[in-house]
Amino acid sequence: MKSVSIIAVNTFREVIRDRILYGIIVFALLLISLSVVLGGLSFTEQAKISADFGFAGIQIGASILSIFVGSTLVAKEIEKQTILTLLARPISRTQFLMGKFFGLFLVIITVMAGLAAVLALLLIYLRLKVDGLFFIALYGVVLESLILVSITLMFGVISRPVMTVIFASSLFLIGHWVSSFEGLMKIKAMATEPIAIYGSKIAKFVPNLERFNWRSAPVYSTPVPAEDLLYATLYAAGWVLVFLALTSFAFRRRDFV
Amino acid sequence: MSTPVLEIRDLKKTYKRGWNAKPVHALKGVSFQIEPGTITGFLGANGAGKTTTIKCLFGLSLPDSGTIKYFGQEGLTNEAKAKIGFLPERPYFYEYLTGREFLRFYGKLSWKDTTSELEKRISQLLDRVGLAHAGDRPLRSYSKGMLQRIGIAQALIHKPEFIILDEPQTGLDPDGRHEVREIIKETAQQGTAVFFSSHLLPDAEQLCKNLVILKQGTLVYSGSTQNLLGQVEKGFRLVSAKSDVLTTQDYASPAELQIAIDQIRKVGGEIREVRALRLTLEEAFAQIGFDKKEARP
Repeated sequence: MKSVSIIAVNTFREVIRDRILYGIIVFALLLISLSVVLGGLSFTEQAKISADFGFAGIQIGASILSIFVGSTLVAKEIEKQTILTLLARPISRTQFLMGKFFGLFLVIITVMAGLAAVLALLLIYLRLKVDGLFFIALYGVVLESLILVSITLMFGVISRPVMTVIFASSLFLIGHWVSSFEGLMKIKAMATEPIAIYGSKIAKFVPNLERFNWRSAPVYSTPVPAEDLLYATLYAAGWVLVFLALTSFAFRRRDFV
Repeated sequence: MSTPVLEIRDLKKTYKRGWNAKPVHALKGVSFQIEPGTITGFLGANGAGKTTTIKCLFGLSLPDSGTIKYFGQEGLTNEAKAKIGFLPERPYFYEYLTGREFLRFYGKLSWKDTTSELEKRISQLLDRVGLAHAGDRPLRSYSKGMLQRIGIAQALIHKPEFIILDEPQTGLDPDGRHEVREIIKETAQQGTAVFFSSHLLPDAEQLCKNLVILKQGTLVYSGSTQNLLGQVEKGFRLVSAKSDVLTTQDYASPAELQIAIDQIRKVGGEIREVRALRLTLEEAFAQIGFDKKEARP
């Protein structure tokens, strides 16, 4: 565990000192600011639209961070050969991967905390409540980011960064469409259409990222049942374990030529 | 007899790049061992299999067959790794870290003593490799020579019993090469076994008690440097003087030398010096069947 935390802290330091992070933060802040402008277009729902876009800004920022920074995490170590000296130390390849995973996750949590503070101030300014539901919405984004980081890490050890971004982004998009496929199967007229049949089959092998979408809960003050939270947490943990196990399996047999 | 720090038996490795590519037999059954406290040079031309061997030693490249024992135990356990230091060829390090942070990071991964002991060790090593002034600068501002030196410090940070350096002098100026040579010497004097690959034959000859030589994935020599250089006699040099005129002459065999000495004495000449001509490592390479061009950097 000590080795994992040492690698995680170093990964955190690596990402924090990388300029790309600040580009992503600025982008996310712009999205949150845009939410005020977009909210202003509505006479009656300004606060709600702003909150909705604000949460979307945090979610997009966290997803970009997971995919774009995650795609180079292992690739950079291999390309620059820093991995050689690292794996020559008393750590296993799996511990190295875990360190990378937790390091990036730590960065995402830190960045999200900052963005959430900005959004909270904005919501207070717009006279919306910042209560438990606000944190539940953020928790959903955290769970989704955990899965995204593990997906990106998995592709990162078997492909180049560009391909990793393409694969991980595709899974991200499919993950958000999964519930639509399931919905299509429930409509009688569509149930026999190939898109619904194949879509629902694919859906079984892809995490349903919409399960973590509680972003409208604080906007419309809709309560989120505790069992939903528990189920989503277990669901996320299950997928993360699957992706990390696959990553570790692929990485264990890799030759660093 | 003490247990070797490293013992390799029949190591084989084949690469295949792409589905239709011909397999490359990088290592064809390499066996050798390294004794504690010795300096062993690992020589061979580019593509001879030196770096592949070193990568196999650390599990960075997985061998097809063969056994690797560290300190008498088979397999690269974490306990064994904690006793070994490693500097890869052309090292690139985390450029966002300062020299001190970099050593702290690697130190923490294998360090067993207290944090304050580690900090002391970092300062001591920075001083030893001549980077005390640059310890708080990011590695991105380091020159190639400085990176090589901080790399060596990284390999030594946890006081290893055995260090493996892959071409530690590559790309260094004469001063830098001298400095690395001195560090290797000092490290061995402190009881650490050193195994380093190099293309610099004069340095290897000067430093190494033992040599391991590969050619196209096959071991062609493993043993003492002295034995290798003694395997081929080069002859003798005789310096004589007559009426204060010095004459130097080389003789191929002891018999020829003896005849020459007798003749000089007969004519009233004086023998000033008789010396066995030792082969240099470069010459030995050429004479015992190595391609001299290949053996040069």
